Amino acid sequence: MHIEIGARTDLGRVRKNNEDCYLIDSSLQLFVLSDGMGGQAHGEVASNMAVQTVLTHCRQGENSRTTPIFGESRPDVSERTNRLASAIHLANRKVFDTAASNPEQKGMGATIVAAWIDAQRLSLAHVGDSRAYLLRAGSMDQLTADHSLVAEKVRVGILTPQEADASELQSVLTRAVGTNGAVEVDTDEQALLMGDFLLLCSDGLTRMVTDPEIASTLLTSATAQESADRLIDLANENGGADNVTVIVLRVIEKSSSMFDRFKIWKRYSG
Amino acid sequence: MSRLVLKFETAMLKEVPLGTRPVTIGRAPDNDIQIDNLAVSNYHARVYVEAGSLVVEDLNSLNGSFLNDIRVERAMLKDGDAILIGKHEILVDQANDAAHTLDALRKAPVPRVNETMILDTHERRKLLNAAVAAGERSQLSPERHRIPTLLVARGNTDQKEYRIASKLTVIGKSKMATVRLGGWFTPEVAAQINKHEDGYYLGRDDRLPKINGVSITGLTKLNDGDVIDVGRVRLSFLYRE
Repeated sequence: MHIEIGARTDLGRVRKNNEDCYLIDSSLQLFVLSDGMGGQAHGEVASNMAVQTVLTHCRQGENSRTTPIFGESRPDVSERTNRLASAIHLANRKVFDTAASNPEQKGMGATIVAAWIDAQRLSLAHVGDSRAYLLRAGSMDQLTADHSLVAEKVRVGILTPQEADASELQSVLTRAVGTNGAVEVDTDEQALLMGDFLLLCSDGLTRMVTDPEIASTLLTSATAQESADRLIDLANENGGADNVTVIVLRVIEKSSSMFDRFKIWKRYSG
Repeated sequence: MSRLVLKFETAMLKEVPLGTRPVTIGRAPDNDIQIDNLAVSNYHARVYVEAGSLVVEDLNSLNGSFLNDIRVERAMLKDGDAILIGKHEILVDQANDAAHTLDALRKAPVPRVNETMILDTHERRKLLNAAVAAGERSQLSPERHRIPTLLVARGNTDQKEYRIASKLTVIGKSKMATVRLGGWFTPEVAAQINKHEDGYYLGRDDRLPKINGVSITGLTKLNDGDVIDVGRVRLSFLYRE
């Protein structure tokens, strides 16, 4: 099983700077995306710090088993998933402490969504309203629950999903990285299958592009990178009101399968 | 005071207090709970009080009324029960605090914002947490203290019985599978079970598993006693004390 990767971030058409950030470690199969918030480009500081911390901590965890776990360790998920959650707890602490010691950065924070793939197991962890979607057998599902005021209202039953989409308060978060000393991290695990698409994205995409448009773009692009480029273009064509970032992952056959090797043999044997 | 709450998926649409008068449910506009859906009959069902107990009665509807997934003509209701009519759920809520907290949340002042901001007010968070907890309380989850288990009825598996303790349970040949299957042609992941907040769901996979003899088309919730067929392997899903 091989993971084909595509990713892109864009300023959008309205904002003056890009406070979104993403990092990929393809050998570790770790993918992290963050959307920063806080005036005067402090969002950029927060999101950068968040993704760097997650990557570093996860790498450390791989190199040394004795690397401590931050936050509680859950018994119902794998070590990898716990490590990912721990990384986000650490990132939260770092951003929070930085903001606390720097009065002008007060209130800065970021969302984060991270995916870590180990053979067929997908470990997912997130805080905020950046999302992970799974497209399988032509059907797309949002894997993460948004930590936003409107989403919480829908879950409790005060708003319908349609009212939530029309709400002016969509960008009010109930959880973020760095705005509080401690944060609750949501985790999930899925077994990946051949042909699956995994999409990580900031809300700059989902505010501008509908789910069916996203699904059809993923299904009709030749490569994961083409999907990523087309999704960004779509977001900008539809207004580009916010920074937009996507990471597209596609589960495909191993790049040199038995059949490919046979074709090469055939070619060289005249 | 008791009330009925009309829900569609995660959205609460309407709540109706239960007094002495029966509450009617159906597609026609003169019902107390009107559900505008073709799967719902004009006068589909009603809920009334009889000798101190709440009763739901199906009014000879075309598609039937279901109480906790069992089709009923007339049945007694208790707190937390869910009546399924078409695709809408009607929850029985007899807990008093739920209404009060949700009212408080509705009345809470709402900020006007353009930029992303974090909801920081301690009060609001407290209210939200209480409302979420109250919402959870009126959900149906009697299996909370029972252990989900898979019993092998037939097939080539490494154990006869499996406890489901994880968020992700894989059935297949993979090394990370909980239910390890044998066989040359067995896929790495033949089926998977995901734990969600409200129960366990069997996912679409290579082998198009069946629940109670019916092939599933999407993520399907598992109920106590369901029989799962994955290829030649047959498993029983149940909650054990």
